[in-house]
Amino acid sequence: MGKQISIFVENKPGKVNKITGILEKAKINMKAMTIADSGSFGIIKLITDDNEKAFNIFREKNFLVSFQKVVVVEMPDKVGAFHKVAKILEDMDINIEDAYGFIMEEGEKAALILKVAESDIEKVEEILKKNNYRSIENFNV
Amino acid sequence: MFWAEKEETVSRDELRSIQTDRLGESVERAGKSPYYRKLYGKHNLKLSIKSLEDIRKFPFTTKDDLRASYPVGMMAVPMDNIVRMHASSGTTGKSTLVFHTIRDIENWSNLVARGLYSAGVRKSDVFQNMMSYGLFTGGLGLHYGAEKIGALVIPIGAGNTQKQIDFFNDMKTTVIHITPSYLLHLGYVLEEKGLAPSKSFSIKIAIMGAEPHSEATRKKLEEIFNIKVYNCYGLSEMNGPGVAFECACQKGLHLWEDHYLAEIINPETGEVLPEGEEGELVLTTLQREGMPIIRYRTKDITKFISGKCKCGRTHRRIARMKGRTDDMFIVKGVNIFPSQIETVLMETPEVDKNYMIVLDRKEGLDILSVQIEIKKDYFRGDLNQLKYLQENLREKLKHVILVTPVIELVEPGSLPSSTGKAQRVIDKRRL
Repeated sequence: MGKQISIFVENKPGKVNKITGILEKAKINMKAMTIADSGSFGIIKLITDDNEKAFNIFREKNFLVSFQKVVVVEMPDKVGAFHKVAKILEDMDINIEDAYGFIMEEGEKAALILKVAESDIEKVEEILKKNNYRSIENFNV
Repeated sequence: MFWAEKEETVSRDELRSIQTDRLGESVERAGKSPYYRKLYGKHNLKLSIKSLEDIRKFPFTTKDDLRASYPVGMMAVPMDNIVRMHASSGTTGKSTLVFHTIRDIENWSNLVARGLYSAGVRKSDVFQNMMSYGLFTGGLGLHYGAEKIGALVIPIGAGNTQKQIDFFNDMKTTVIHITPSYLLHLGYVLEEKGLAPSKSFSIKIAIMGAEPHSEATRKKLEEIFNIKVYNCYGLSEMNGPGVAFECACQKGLHLWEDHYLAEIINPETGEVLPEGEEGELVLTTLQREGMPIIRYRTKDITKFISGKCKCGRTHRRIARMKGRTDDMFIVKGVNIFPSQIETVLMETPEVDKNYMIVLDRKEGLDILSVQIEIKKDYFRGDLNQLKYLQENLREKLKHVILVTPVIELVEPGSLPSSTGKAQRVIDKRRL
């Protein structure tokens, strides 16, 4: 099981800059970022190479921050790779609430972050494992 | 030109003697209610009134006393004789109720008619009542007064601006009763439609009430619409609108002293101030049957304006309300206390202790925003959770304050901390 960091931000200029600045200062490498917004506020979701450290720093700095359990799965960086994963989940009747990804090695490996209902996480990881997908716990290697 | 010439132009000496007699009757009538009977007993009060100054022996009555007497503790006649109830919102849950006999309604209507007549409203006018009806006294109070004069009354209530405009055109409305913020909003709406508010309609008079406003706002609205705007003061505890009303001279509001005994006090010491000094207005009903109230603290700040008014009315004038002795504020004509909002916020576990109420105005419409921080332990990183909280708070607050607020979620530490006397209300409106 993987983790993403969610940070509450007001929808104002300079908010992303502030967060990336904090990561840089702490020498934490950001792997992926996505923003969900709802008009006047939003949530920034982050995957880093040291989620624990990042979480603690944001908490210290008085941010509204939390961990969310996600499935991080390694897949080939090629056409149709995500579709395959999505198909497996559809067959299991699993709803994907949120998904984003990033390339780990151009033309070789990509990481896919899947947010599913917490009660489904174990089931999803198991079925993906059966289909020869590797789940990534952390990127601190 | 008077609605009730004899009463409105009575000599000061005679008025004083009428007031003295009626004060005696009023304290006696009040004594028939459970609340005042107990109060008189507790203070061992002698009810014989020989001069108006005798009122000073009586303790003040406050909004809290009214609330504690909920529902009928201040009713002074058998319930059978009551024909109407009104209510105003309170700081905590319970409303305060006011009861009227048929004669009370008749008197109230006549006082409103006096005021409307003094502002130039006549039988031939079409009176569009753009104030809320219901428990709130603004709508029905002016409705009855305008009908008494014989005007054609359109009981449309507040809101539904397009329909309001349709009636302006189709019924050739000549008088409107409206809050200043709604009148400002109307100006914006008309301009957006490409209509010139100053030329578009037959309106000549606006009666403005329910919200305090400045002389500058009056002048601005008179210019925008090319009409005369008159100020009307009242509070539900004293019937509602029509306690004091501006005449055509527009130099203060005549307070109908044959129905109300007015004192201006130092709000801190309770001491009665010399005439002309600014302080809190305290009112005693002189004629009311259903629910007489002795020395009610209005919390409104004003002063008596000395000298005779050119209109010939002898009843003393009070100045435009300058503010409040408490932290109450008014949004869209509705009285709101910060404590009402605070109670809802503090009952919501996700909401942290600091908050801020921001009042603003966009295109003439009042906007009440409540800024809150989320408690850290409750944040799950879920956008839907926050949206649900926002929605939930909006509904809960609307239920309590009767106005739909904008709920703004802000980052931790953005709001002033609660240590010391934090300012919790910012009013950016200029009325």
